[in-house]
Amino acid sequence: MIAGDLRVFLTVSAVMFCIGVYGILSRRNAIGVLLCLELMANAVNLNLVAFARFSTGTMGQVFTLFAIALTVAEVVVGMALVILLQRTHRDIRLDVAEEMRG
Amino acid sequence: MNILLGPLAADLVLVIGMGSVLVTDLILPPGDKRLLGWGALYTLLAALLATFAMELTGPAIFGAYVGDPVALMFKRVFLAAGVLAALGSLTQLAERFERRQGEYWVLLLSSVLGMSLLAGARDLVLLVVCFELMGVPLYVLAAWARDDRLAIEGALKLFLLGAVSSVTLLFGISLLTGICGSTMISEVALYSREHTNPALLLGAALTLGGMGFKLGVFPFHMWVPDTYQGSTTPFVAFLSVAPKAAAIAALVRLLIAGGNALLVGVVPMLITLAAATLVMGNLLALHQTQVKRLLAYSGVGHMGLLLMALATGTELGLSMLLFYLVAYLFTNAGAFLVVHAVTGDEGDDLALFEGLYARSGWLAMAMLLFLLSLAGIPFVVGFWAKLYIFLAAWAGGLQWLVLLGALLSVLALYYYLRVVISMFMRPPPTPIEPIVPDWGTNTAIALCLLFVVGMGLVPGPFVEAASNAAQGFDGAIVAMPRSTAP
Repeated sequence: MIAGDLRVFLTVSAVMFCIGVYGILSRRNAIGVLLCLELMANAVNLNLVAFARFSTGTMGQVFTLFAIALTVAEVVVGMALVILLQRTHRDIRLDVAEEMRG
Repeated sequence: MNILLGPLAADLVLVIGMGSVLVTDLILPPGDKRLLGWGALYTLLAALLATFAMELTGPAIFGAYVGDPVALMFKRVFLAAGVLAALGSLTQLAERFERRQGEYWVLLLSSVLGMSLLAGARDLVLLVVCFELMGVPLYVLAAWARDDRLAIEGALKLFLLGAVSSVTLLFGISLLTGICGSTMISEVALYSREHTNPALLLGAALTLGGMGFKLGVFPFHMWVPDTYQGSTTPFVAFLSVAPKAAAIAALVRLLIAGGNALLVGVVPMLITLAAATLVMGNLLALHQTQVKRLLAYSGVGHMGLLLMALATGTELGLSMLLFYLVAYLFTNAGAFLVVHAVTGDEGDDLALFEGLYARSGWLAMAMLLFLLSLAGIPFVVGFWAKLYIFLAAWAGGLQWLVLLGALLSVLALYYYLRVVISMFMRPPPTPIEPIVPDWGTNTAIALCLLFVVGMGLVPGPFVEAASNAAQGFDGAIVAMPRSTAP
C-alpha cells in the first residue's frame, strides 16, 4: 500500500492537477490556459519524482525527464498556435475562436 | 544491431526517409520542391512493403518494443493511411503551399513513425513518447492553412484538447508505474491482477480518458468536427483514421495485455463511453449541413463500435477490431478524399454536392459506395465489419449494446442518404462544370474503392488475417469475469 509520506506528495500533486483542470476550464486567455497546462504537467512530474523517492528509484527519475521534455515540446507548438491566433484574429482570448458550432 | 533493431526495420525506413526529406528540403531551391512529396510517398510505400516482405517479429529496444502480428497489422493500417493522405495532398501542396512542402512531409512522416512504434510499445515510457511523437505533428499539420481563421480555430481546439489529454494520460501512467513499481505493461498487469488499489483504478481510468480525447469519443469529441472543418481535407483523411487507430492500439496493449488485468476495472466505464458515443455521434450527425462535419460525427459514432469490441476483451473481439479498422481506414479516408476532390478549398457545404452525378459520375459512384460502406449496407466492406463487431460483442455478453448499435445504424442511414440524394437527385448548378480531380487524389480514391468493394465481396482472407494476428498477440488473453459488466 501507499506509505504515509508518499501520500502527502500524491495529495499535493492531485490538488495541483485539479487546479490546472479548473484553470483550463475557466481561463479565457490562451496564455493563461497554457500556464494551467504547465501546472497539470508539473503535477505529473511531482508524482513521478515522489514515486521515484519511495518506490521506483532511478526509473522514476528518468521518466520525469522524459515527461518534462514531452511537455515542453507540446507547449512550444501551443505557443506557435497562439501567435497564429493573434495574427488571424487580432486577439488571444479563446472566445474569439468560437466561429464553428453544432 | 540485428537483435536490437531487427523488428524495427520498417520504422528505420521511415526515419531515414524523414531525414532525407528534411535535408533535401534545405538543398532544393523554392519552386522545385515537388520532389519532396515523391520522397515521402516512396518512403511510406517502402515501409509498407517492408511490413510484408521482411520478418519484423520479436522484441526490440531491450524488450520495450515487441513486433507481434497485432503490432504489424496496426503498422500496415498507419502506413496505408499515410500513403493515401500523401497521394491526396501531393497536388494540393504543390499548388497552394509550394514553399512549405518539406515541413509538411517531415511532420507527416514523424507522425506515422510515432504511431508505428506505438503499435508495439510494451513499455509505458515508450508508449508516452510515441503518443507525443504522433500527436505534436498533428497540431502543426492541422494549422497548415495558416491564414485561414477556421483552420487556426480548429487547430487550437485540437491542440488544447490534445494537450490536456496527453497530460491526463501521463498522470494516469505516473500513478500506474509508481504503484506497480515498473514501466513494463506486463509487470503493471501482473501487479494489478494480484492487488486491488483504488489508485490503480484511477490510473487506468485517467489513461482511458486521455486516450478517449484522441479517439474523439463522447464527451471528448468537441474538437472533432471543428478541426475537420478547418483543416485541409487530405490531411483530415489521415487525421480521421490513423491517430484513432493508434489510440486503439495503445489501449489494446495497455488493457488487454496480461490477461485483461487492467481492463476488468474499466469495463463499466468503457461500456458507458461506447453507448454514449454511439448515441451522441449518430444524433449529432442528423442535422449537419456540411459534409465534413457530417462525416466527423459519423466517425464519432464509429468509435463507439470500436470501444464495444474492445470492451469484450476476447480474442474474437480483438480480431474483429482489427478487421474493422482496416475497413474503416479505406472507407473513411476514401470518403474524405472524395470531399477533397469535389470541394477543393471552397468549404464543405452539402450544396456543393448537388448534382454531383452530372458533374462527375466517377466521384458520385465512389462516394455512394463509401457512404453505403459507412452505413453498413451488404456487399461493401462496412457491412461485414459492423456485423462481425456485433457478433463479437454478442458473444462477449454485451447484447443490449449490440441492439443499441443496430438501432442507431438504421438511424445513420438517414444522414448518409441525405448526401446520396443530394448527389443523385438534385439538379447540378448551371452551367454544369465537370470535376476533374488531380491524379493523386484519383489514385487514392481508386485504391480505397478497390479495397472497399474487394473486401466487401471477399472478406474471408482479411478476416482470417485479422484472426491470425489476434491469435499471435503478445500477452495472453484470458476470459474475464463477466460479473463486472452492468
